Amino acid sequence: MAWDAKAKRQSGGFYSTLGLSRLFLGCLGLVLLLLPVFPGEFQVVVGAEILIMGLFATSFNLLYGYMGEISFGHSAFFGLGAYTTALFMRAFQGPTGEIGYVPFLFSVFMSIPVSALGALIVGFFCVRLTGIYFAMLSLAFGELLYYIVFSWYSFTKGDDGIQGLMPPHYLQGYTHYYYFALIVVAVTLVLLWRVTNSPFSYVLRMLRENKNRAAFVGVNVRTCMLVNFVVAGAFAGLAGGLWGPFQRSVSPTLLGSMQSATAVFMTLMGGPRFFIGPLVGSAIYTALNAYLTRFTVYWPLTIGSIILIFVLFLPGGILSAVQGWIRASLGHRPKSPARMPAMRE
Amino acid sequence: MPDNKILEVIGLNKRFGGQHVTKDLDFHLYEGDQAAIIGPNGAGKTTFFNLLTGRHRADSGRVLFDGREIVHLPSHLIARAGMTRAFQVSNIFPRLTALENVRSAVQAQMGRTLDLFSRADRVGAAEADEILRLCRLEQEQNTLAGELSQGDKKKLELALALAGKPKLLLLDEPTAGMSPEETRETMALIDHLNQALGLTVLFTEHDMGVVFNHARRVTLLHRGEKIVEGSPQEVRENETAQRIYLGEQQ
Repeated sequence: MAWDAKAKRQSGGFYSTLGLSRLFLGCLGLVLLLLPVFPGEFQVVVGAEILIMGLFATSFNLLYGYMGEISFGHSAFFGLGAYTTALFMRAFQGPTGEIGYVPFLFSVFMSIPVSALGALIVGFFCVRLTGIYFAMLSLAFGELLYYIVFSWYSFTKGDDGIQGLMPPHYLQGYTHYYYFALIVVAVTLVLLWRVTNSPFSYVLRMLRENKNRAAFVGVNVRTCMLVNFVVAGAFAGLAGGLWGPFQRSVSPTLLGSMQSATAVFMTLMGGPRFFIGPLVGSAIYTALNAYLTRFTVYWPLTIGSIILIFVLFLPGGILSAVQGWIRASLGHRPKSPARMPAMRE
Repeated sequence: MPDNKILEVIGLNKRFGGQHVTKDLDFHLYEGDQAAIIGPNGAGKTTFFNLLTGRHRADSGRVLFDGREIVHLPSHLIARAGMTRAFQVSNIFPRLTALENVRSAVQAQMGRTLDLFSRADRVGAAEADEILRLCRLEQEQNTLAGELSQGDKKKLELALALAGKPKLLLLDEPTAGMSPEETRETMALIDHLNQALGLTVLFTEHDMGVVFNHARRVTLLHRGEKIVEGSPQEVRENETAQRIYLGEQQ
């Protein structure tokens, strides 16, 4: 049984491979591939949103779950990527708004280097701090970028945002765009999975656990933090680049603090200790948002209550609870319960 | 006497506010030596280590390590140059396993910190296993470091220092908090590292039994100043040493 072997081999590790057993991965892949087969278009729209926001939240978790620093300004890079793609698409679009495949893909791709550059500049300052100061400075930079985009009307159209971002003909249907997003996000997540199992990711874990000691075993703390900040920013930017053409528009709220908070919520709901935690969190958050708003207009109240429940009763996220149940049913001694829920002591 | 100075400290000074915690300290260490620094609490032993490893900046003075000036270098470059340390209070990575602790430190020493695409479990794994075996932690390799016993945490502390492939190993009270059995094991390991592998070792210790049995040279610090230096025999027989420190120890 793949589960058992995995659980045994990994039993000591803080990071678990939960959810990446072949069986689970196969099921997940099948569901994602067949999602558009079900009648109706709504679940496809929700599915694409889950994937894109899941990528955004996963990039956030490089900072939080792996490196142990919380950023409240991560949406700055999501928004930077979204605006980069939007502005490039605007430049390439013909008089009736049509765009070729190559210019479109190029526009999406450009979200990566531009947001990476943004993250390099912001990160240069942020990595000088840790803990609450890191969080506050990232928030300040996020708000700063928000106001630049909000106020620079001639370049960004300010509060109006940029509309009419039609992807090329074949990708205009939501099902087709869904598959496009699925391919990009899947490839990206495989890449990130490699990164999160590399020596670099263990440096991040050392930084999370004990920055001071990391320096004494030969880690250049600031450089490694900065590289991670740039990697996280670049992938957030790619998520933003996928978002614009999906929504057909971008607006300054993509850089706002609420957008950053969404990544935090998703990560906490899914489980920051797990690679796919943010993606699972995105599925829960986005699906709740999509389906509950049919029944209630009190969405903020509802999601607020749900987050409250998670924080109080499932502090390690849903995957942490699932892992606990699986271990219990396999007869594994539960790892000291005090450690399981708490992300940070 | 070997002639190659691996460490040479000249006129080192450090003040914290009005406290002059390191006063014009001269110190040297020959390659292959095993030496101890002793002194009452507050003598400046840990500060001295902090100055050597770049945790604190010296106000003045020079530190030559392996012929190279290091007094201005940041901690991680001093570690990579081959001077690593084990801390007095175990200072480990609690939510990584013992193996991950050591392996990650080995990878840092190999300069692989920015390797984003290799598999971490395949880089430096053999070295990490070897170090765990040397430190007698192989049984505990999959235990989270934070859940190890106090003695094992101190062994892991030593293992982390060894992971840096040091030329000079600084040990701040390596046996503090250990049982007599563990103390014996640890000191035997340190002797082995020094004698069989030629590692230069400098340690601080309060247990005079450990000091006089395992150090070939002893330096007594008091209020940031070097009081006596010499063989264990010389220091033991020194009157000032007796008065300041050894008297109260016995």
